Amino acid sequence: MLLAVFVLAGCSNTVEDEVSVRSAEVGFEVKAQPAWSEKPAAQSEQTTPSVQSKPKQTTNPFDDLKRPGISPHTLSIPSIGVEAEVLHLGMTETGEMAVPDNGDELSWFSEGYLPGQRGRAVIAGHVDDLDGPAVFWDLTELEPGDEILMAGDEGDLRFTVRAMESVPLDLADIESVFGYQSSPELVLITCSGTYDFDRGTREERLLVYATLSEE
Amino acid sequence: MKKIAVSLSVAMLVLFSLLASQVMADEHGDGAKVRVLHASPDAPAVDVYVNGDLTLEEVPFKTDSGYLDVPAGTHDVEVFAAGTEYAAGEGVLQADLEVEAGKAYTVAAANLLESIEFVVAEDSMEVTEGQAKIRVGHLSPDAPAVDVGIIGGDALFSGAEFKAVTDYAEVAPDSYDLEIRLPDGTQVLPLEGTELAADTVYSVFAVNTVDSLEVIALVDYEAAGSPDGMPTTGLGTPQQSQSIWLLIGGALFLVAASGLVWRKRFQE
Repeated sequence: MLLAVFVLAGCSNTVEDEVSVRSAEVGFEVKAQPAWSEKPAAQSEQTTPSVQSKPKQTTNPFDDLKRPGISPHTLSIPSIGVEAEVLHLGMTETGEMAVPDNGDELSWFSEGYLPGQRGRAVIAGHVDDLDGPAVFWDLTELEPGDEILMAGDEGDLRFTVRAMESVPLDLADIESVFGYQSSPELVLITCSGTYDFDRGTREERLLVYATLSEE
Repeated sequence: MKKIAVSLSVAMLVLFSLLASQVMADEHGDGAKVRVLHASPDAPAVDVYVNGDLTLEEVPFKTDSGYLDVPAGTHDVEVFAAGTEYAAGEGVLQADLEVEAGKAYTVAAANLLESIEFVVAEDSMEVTEGQAKIRVGHLSPDAPAVDVGIIGGDALFSGAEFKAVTDYAEVAPDSYDLEIRLPDGTQVLPLEGTELAADTVYSVFAVNTVDSLEVIALVDYEAAGSPDGMPTTGLGTPQQSQSIWLLIGGALFLVAASGLVWRKRFQE
């Protein structure tokens, strides 16, 4: 067995380690909540199923569309003991989403959607650093329904873990991961899979999708 | 129960079927976005089946599903009154919905129940930086053709008839005093203080019967930046040291194994 692993690693210039083993068989998805159950109360009043005569609409429905989001500064995930500062970072010189230079802090992709805004707000964190496990080491341990708390300048938001997958780097659909959605989502990213010495990074990315929990 | 309820949720259903494979679908860039809107004023809440799978449950009038990620291709969408047992082809409303990769659609169940039908529109997923975009859909079955414009000013959209979804108009982000009015200027519904934000695409649907006309406002898209590459989220290269250990382990294994072999031979 050990020999097999060794030979395999030698061939592809990658090697199994604890990170790749932990992320080898991750993945789940919970059926998304229909959007109409997530609407604020003001709107649900108008959505009674029966069609009796109602008073005419008096408020402007555009007033319910505002979802400004928050400027994030701290993220915590109680179920795996994560609490970390969130830096506002954009892209590297090569166009990648930028990450902190240490294993303790997280980065929010500040050119994308804000947490709480419609669309996917993206947070990245390291799985390991030079000393060993880093802030997102235990991300593979998340389960459906786990809570993610995001504190920001304008208030706090609570997200609920919905799905997890580990995607080969070349197959990751960046436009989707960072893309528009009709409701606010949070995407957590860290490295997973085996380490590719030729590319200097792991072969996969672990993606955790969480939906905003309405108060 | 009669087959009454069918119409609305069809569109939604289409999407839902995808849900199971949603993440994979959009991760691999071959998906479309679909949202379903229940705009049939006298239809009950509905269940929507996509390709035979229950995708949306108990969708009431005047609600939309939000965008669902679905694979590109043709999907069998069938609508039943909520709670009705599924039987292929027995739905109140059925359509084979074709969606293309990278595009977004609104599928509305429109008209009165006795004539329930789908109205499908392609939605915009782009907007000029710093601008807002808006369009109007007329889904009030007995309302006449209408204009939508600035109160006391120009019309943004003229002569929209039932089942019409207009092209988008691009406007500067601002607060507008809009109204729905008849072509002769008679106001049907005021929309004062309509705030249109920059980098945002809106759809406004007029629904319900003319004597209780209402408006549903939806956001089709909000623009934001995207990087060209995924983050590099590991600072360590623990493999280096691990490789050494694997090598040592492998070497030990070889030594041990050969030792066994030799021993065996020796014993023989």
